[in-house]
Amino acid sequence: MLRTIKPKTARSKRALEARQPKEVEDARTAVFVKGTHTGELLNNVMKELMALKRPDAIAFNKKNDIHPFDASTNSIASLEFWSMKNDASLFVIGQTTKKRPHGLTFVRMYDGKVLDMTEVGVEGWKGMAEFKTPKSTPGHKPLIHFASELFDTHPRYQQLKSMLLDFFNGEEIESICLPGIEHVISITCAPTPASLNNATIPTQPTTSKEAEVLPKVHIRTYTIKLLASGTRIPRVELVPMGPSLDMSLRRYQDADPELLKQAMKRPKLKKTDVEKGLGKKRKNMEVDEMGDLRGRVHIAKQDLSKLQTRKMKGLKAGLDGDMDVDEDGDSDGFSPRKKRKET
Amino acid sequence: MDVSNILAAHAAKYQSVTVEKETPLEVDPGLLMVTDLNPIDEESYNDSREDYLQSLARDGVQSLFASLFSLPTKQSPDGPLAILPPPVYQLPRAKPLPKPKPPTKWERFAAAKGIQKKVRDKKVWDEEKQEWVNRWGRNGKNKEVEEQWIHEVPANADVDFDPVKAARDARKVRVSKNEKQRLQNLARNAGPQQQRKEEIDKTLASTRVSTASMGKFDKRLEGEKKLRGVKRKFEPAEASAEQEKKSSLNLLAKMESDSKKMRAAPADESSSVLNVRKAVKFASKGRGGIALARQSSRGKGATRGKGRR
Repeated sequence: MLRTIKPKTARSKRALEARQPKEVEDARTAVFVKGTHTGELLNNVMKELMALKRPDAIAFNKKNDIHPFDASTNSIASLEFWSMKNDASLFVIGQTTKKRPHGLTFVRMYDGKVLDMTEVGVEGWKGMAEFKTPKSTPGHKPLIHFASELFDTHPRYQQLKSMLLDFFNGEEIESICLPGIEHVISITCAPTPASLNNATIPTQPTTSKEAEVLPKVHIRTYTIKLLASGTRIPRVELVPMGPSLDMSLRRYQDADPELLKQAMKRPKLKKTDVEKGLGKKRKNMEVDEMGDLRGRVHIAKQDLSKLQTRKMKGLKAGLDGDMDVDEDGDSDGFSPRKKRKET
Repeated sequence: MDVSNILAAHAAKYQSVTVEKETPLEVDPGLLMVTDLNPIDEESYNDSREDYLQSLARDGVQSLFASLFSLPTKQSPDGPLAILPPPVYQLPRAKPLPKPKPPTKWERFAAAKGIQKKVRDKKVWDEEKQEWVNRWGRNGKNKEVEEQWIHEVPANADVDFDPVKAARDARKVRVSKNEKQRLQNLARNAGPQQQRKEEIDKTLASTRVSTASMGKFDKRLEGEKKLRGVKRKFEPAEASAEQEKKSSLNLLAKMESDSKKMRAAPADESSSVLNVRKAVKFASKGRGGIALARQSSRGKGATRGKGRR
């Protein structure tokens, strides 16, 4: 535990204030950590993932003896320490062993504590240099595309989706310059095997046998070309940019439900936002240009026949019928309306 | 007239921008994300994997662009910006929500009285200079009086009356009052832990001087600091009659006032926002509660006198 720091200069005070919790958070800073042995492939993977993540990325260039899934080591304490020192809340740990070759572990933090972890094995890899195509500008926001029903049904893939989304594009922004969108990161699963298809969701942690069943995940990156379409919306064409990754799921650790509940807390909506219709759905209410709240009220159809207007001799019920007869030349002399009134 | 040729030519030139799928794509423009929940087609996946993945991504991006281009825009120096809606998909936070700041004494009072917060500009308009100047700080407007080159001196002023010093002292008093209030607010909102710490410090200090030798021959612990007592200040023995009278009256006023009474029950500041003593002083224009009561009873009597009997 570090001692609490009291800022001595205005500059360090500003730096400390920037680390304080905010209502709308900045993008998560990711730390790329090398394990005891990484190998050339993992080094390249981490380098290029970092290129995509820039400028919110920090590289640890030395090897670290870290095994986040091994509870007997003090790896978790190291992660928490690094998180605090670097103000980072996401870790990508590369480690290759004989048992688990080319392993990448994504670790997400909340409030300086480990929230959840997921490990993937890199099975196929193509770097940026292998695609002789234009690349995106570093620092531009990517679009994210997920494809497969597993991202909605299977807990492992739900976690992976949340993790990768946080990694590539977790920041909440209020506006974006549309011509500045340059690339898309597409995350697709291999076809769902029959064992996962019939809505059976494994509740127990996956055994090694089950892990083989889990389909691979493909990460592809494309640059976007916009063509004229004759309408306001342009026609989109994609050009592979690299890197491209094929991954298989390995070990994981779910978030502690209590910690997750705290992490999912949202700030209270401001009054102006509520009036705009955010949060709870509010029917028949709108704010006009002047900023006034206007409501619409629906009532049943009014019965106008009983409406009492000014009383005049000429409008009396008896006189009304007589005049009708004269004008229409009606043979029976009783209109249905008159009958109703008399009874 | 046959337009089918023209339509076909148009269709060839401009490919369609609509995406049709079995399950409609879930678009989340707030996070620039699109999720395609359709099952992956095994056949085309095995035949030509890269092409199939690219076509899937293209369809997703196309529908995301359709929703992005239909968003309202605002102008900016770098071109139009699309205003994104808040995200639908929820991600866990990296840090807990910021804690609300505890309200100061003034803020609590203002809330009780319904006083709106007004933000004062840092700059004020200077009529003489015909420009905007700082309200405080460098060349601040609050130092105007003490910096002017000529001063008005009241007729009954002392010989050694320095108007520059008087203005400066008045400003310094306002600054120190503000600082004192800030510290009091901090102390009030410090919480029970801080209070307990201060209590322990006080008890420790009193025990250290509670031996027969008043702590003179006690063993010192390592790192223990020397006790600092209250430094006593003595007024000069010789003072003018005017000053002596003033100080004695001050002392009497202090003894009478409620806040300095030693045996009075401590006022519970946290429970009531309103300072009753101050409110009475304000309402009676400084004459006290009894005068106020007398005045109000007289006021009632007057109305009775006027009324119909």
